[in-house]
Amino acid sequence: MYLDQANGFVLYLVVGVILFFILCMCTVFMIKSYRAGIAIGMDKKILKRAITSSITFTAVPSISILLGVLALSGSLGIPLSWLRLSVIGALQYELNVAEIAATAIGLGGLKASEMNMQAFSTISLVMTAGILGGPLCCIFFSKKYMKKVQKNPKQIQTGKPSYSTVAVTAMFIGLCSAYIASYIGTFVSTGDFIPLLTALCAAAVMAVFEYFTVVKKQVWLDNFSVATSMLLAMAAAVLISGIGR
Amino acid sequence: MTEQEKIQYFDKINKQFHFIGKIMTILSIAALLSFSFIAAAAYGVWPSLKGFLAGFANVAVIYYPVAIAEFLIFAPMLGTGGSYLAFLTGNLTNLKIPCAMNARDIAKVETGTPENEIISSLSISASAITTMLIIFAGVLLLTPLRPILEKPELAPAFDNVVAALFGALGLKYFVKQPKIAVVPLIMMTLLCILVPSMISQTSILIIPAGLLALGIGYILFKKEKINV
Repeated sequence: MYLDQANGFVLYLVVGVILFFILCMCTVFMIKSYRAGIAIGMDKKILKRAITSSITFTAVPSISILLGVLALSGSLGIPLSWLRLSVIGALQYELNVAEIAATAIGLGGLKASEMNMQAFSTISLVMTAGILGGPLCCIFFSKKYMKKVQKNPKQIQTGKPSYSTVAVTAMFIGLCSAYIASYIGTFVSTGDFIPLLTALCAAAVMAVFEYFTVVKKQVWLDNFSVATSMLLAMAAAVLISGIGR
Repeated sequence: MTEQEKIQYFDKINKQFHFIGKIMTILSIAALLSFSFIAAAAYGVWPSLKGFLAGFANVAVIYYPVAIAEFLIFAPMLGTGGSYLAFLTGNLTNLKIPCAMNARDIAKVETGTPENEIISSLSISASAITTMLIIFAGVLLLTPLRPILEKPELAPAFDNVVAALFGALGLKYFVKQPKIAVVPLIMMTLLCILVPSMISQTSILIIPAGLLALGIGYILFKKEKINV
């Protein structure tokens, strides 16, 4: 009964309308950015490459996000899972917050057997309100903050490297360090080596790509490096798990 | 177009990005919140205020500080248009940021320049559209796809998709600036080994790791010990 309601046609319709609106807005940003790029003299080829590389980059992770939709749909229904993972959310956040909200309203956890439409609407409201920090920062602080951090014209003219270039790489190193450390920690504390081995396989494939793109100057390969590294590492995860069984 | 004209033109575009971005974000927030009320009203119920407040308090105390830190750290990488798009379309650290960084590397543009803003905005909009379309297609095919995708044999692949992503990107960035990478990697590893509860808190772990890497990067940059 509950899952029939959570998968009701009216909810599909509402989600379809919301996502269509956001899709249109993304298209507007894409067209405006493309035109602005042409206007300031950027090469059309580079602009098109940025789009195609982003599409290929996104394809594989999107399939995993789709699996997240499957994972959530068992307790929250397909429309809400489709909405949350198409925009604004991420599987890790959604599962965590839905569980917190379910226990806060007195359920034993995120279990379809305990759910009703009031619990569903309350949980979905908590999930939405809880993730609005980023978008609200954009609305209220983005203009002032971006003015502060954007490079001044003098630096652009001199072409002198700025700390911001190092900062971006450093931030990304921090991000990767946190995740890779968590895989090492998982291995040490639980003995589960699959995440660490998957990361190492991906790194090994990426090293081959880096050799061909950086040393052999086969720059075109860069478009496929991340997606291929991920796919091969994921295949390795399946193989290793199969052997371990 | 001279550099000065380029900057003036881009200022104008940036103002438009802010305007469209704000309108888009406000309308989208309203639409996302309305989903819960429409779902409740369609079945003659109403969300529980008490339940909402209790749940929101628990969630906000964790995720609002993280959101503010993410905004401060990632907005400069993403640029104006990219920030509005990325924070609204989600999957930030696991997809949008790596995607924009990848496009930036391919296009060879420098952070903080109009070119970087354009590439970032193009990349994130392309990524968001791709995700939406793939998930839409998946939802349409959900029933026939379900048995294939849920095959237990394939589960390890999708359980480890984030590990695959950060393994590949880790190699790329660690090789780029190994001097910055050593200390955060060792410190975070020690933290995860000594405090195993941190393993599942990667969204919190990225904050000290990022700050550490930023600090080391700043010192090395000032001392001219790294190649930019």
